[in-house]
Amino acid sequence: MSIVTRKLIGKELYVNRWFIGGGALAGLLSVGIASLGKTGFNVGALGWITAIIAHGVMLAIYGIMNERKEHALQFVLSLPVSIGDYVRAKLVGLLLCFLLPWFLASGAALILIFAKADIPDGLAVFAVLLSVFMLTNFSLVLCGTLHAMSEALISAVIIVTNMAVSLFMFTVGALPAIQKTTTAKVPDWNPTFWTVLLVELAVFFAALTLPLLFAARRRDFI
Amino acid sequence: MTQTKHIEMYAVRKSFRFFSLRDLSLDLEPGQIMGFVGPNGAGKSTTIRIAMGLLAADSGEVRVLGCQMPEAQAIAKRDIGFVSAEMRLLPHATLDWHMRFVASIYPGWDPVYAANLVKRFNLRPEQNVRSLSHGEHVKAVLLLALARRPTLLILDEPTTGLDPVARHEVIGEFMDVLRDDSRSILFSSHNTVDVERISDRITFIDRGQMVDSSDKEDFLERWRRIQLQLPAGKMLPELPDVVSRVNDGQFITLTTNRFSDDWLARLGDGVSAVQRMNLEEIFVANVMHHREARGQ
Repeated sequence: MSIVTRKLIGKELYVNRWFIGGGALAGLLSVGIASLGKTGFNVGALGWITAIIAHGVMLAIYGIMNERKEHALQFVLSLPVSIGDYVRAKLVGLLLCFLLPWFLASGAALILIFAKADIPDGLAVFAVLLSVFMLTNFSLVLCGTLHAMSEALISAVIIVTNMAVSLFMFTVGALPAIQKTTTAKVPDWNPTFWTVLLVELAVFFAALTLPLLFAARRRDFI
Repeated sequence: MTQTKHIEMYAVRKSFRFFSLRDLSLDLEPGQIMGFVGPNGAGKSTTIRIAMGLLAADSGEVRVLGCQMPEAQAIAKRDIGFVSAEMRLLPHATLDWHMRFVASIYPGWDPVYAANLVKRFNLRPEQNVRSLSHGEHVKAVLLLALARRPTLLILDEPTTGLDPVARHEVIGEFMDVLRDDSRSILFSSHNTVDVERISDRITFIDRGQMVDSSDKEDFLERWRRIQLQLPAGKMLPELPDVVSRVNDGQFITLTTNRFSDDWLARLGDGVSAVQRMNLEEIFVANVMHHREARGQ
């Protein structure tokens, strides 16, 4: 990785610092609300999911789409970088911007599950799968935004991946092996959990590899 | 030893759905300022983006500072300062942050010159770039390009939207850059006044094709508008290199792109005025002539 690519990664962390701080704060605040009884748990859980999804969407919109739309991309590409360097820096930089609040929010959610006596520890299984799903979802948004040249296509990617979260909760949450453990006192890290997790991670790595194979080799970038 | 040309484009083609750049060839020598003039939509920005490696030509050769483009763009751009009128800096960051960011990438960054430009352009480094006016934004982008002391400056309509004072300041800085004769500038504009002021070589482009390219002085020497009055019944002799001819009864206005005393002598006694043309008049006449010749 060239020094300029590393500088561009640093630049992503700097220009998105408010999103990182805001995303982390919203995630932690939601977990805090979730600790306040049954209603608080429902409201907090909804806020937690929304905070993570919205953070990813904001990063994609402001980090990639607006940079292109507002011609800041011309400035970045005037620096001594190739298209490949740019794509690599965007992938790593925005992923880091997402991972920081994601780690905090996910970690806080797991701590809450294990610390609160009235929340069954078995819920941790679904919480881990949902967290990783949202990470995978972000990688898909990132992949789509780096490939799509039109605003309409990027919007479509964002809408579809948002809808996928609800679909995931209805389908994976309804799997007997997962459903059974959500109310259990002890988490059951059963084969269904590992299969779903493996699929999520496979999609995550595929979504991060595709831009390196295609967008990074594009010869027309503006 | 021959110096490497700063820009070499040969038979470059690039097609889009509604526009094509056709067989464009362009050379920029070290120390030269080339004015790249064309109407809106002529292909100036496309040509510049190809030179910067942001677009790849469909065919033809493109070398910038000896580097094959777009393949070696990361190497070439170490010595290029690129500014376009529509280029924007990164939001949520100050000019000072941008200066430190660019300085950390370019070893040749000149902090004294940068500080000098901040003063001359009346910019405030602590200001967030989002709150800069258009003129200030262009100056900030220019500052970031100039203070890295590039060998080649590529400017895509940099003076568009600037007020006359700001244009004067900006063009003054371009002249300063050229004090070092190893540096060069490719300057695209449809403002012929700016181009005439700073360029030593001019290339006209229209509808994706190069129309003409020559030294500025050569253009100004070759092009003339001649007014003459023909006596009744007398015909105008057959003349080569007449770009346009406007008849108004006995009065005729001719425009030529190959003016010389011999050429003038062939017109006889009827000549009432020989006018030098400015670059804008030459540009318009040149473009219209080529459109007619191509049947467009």
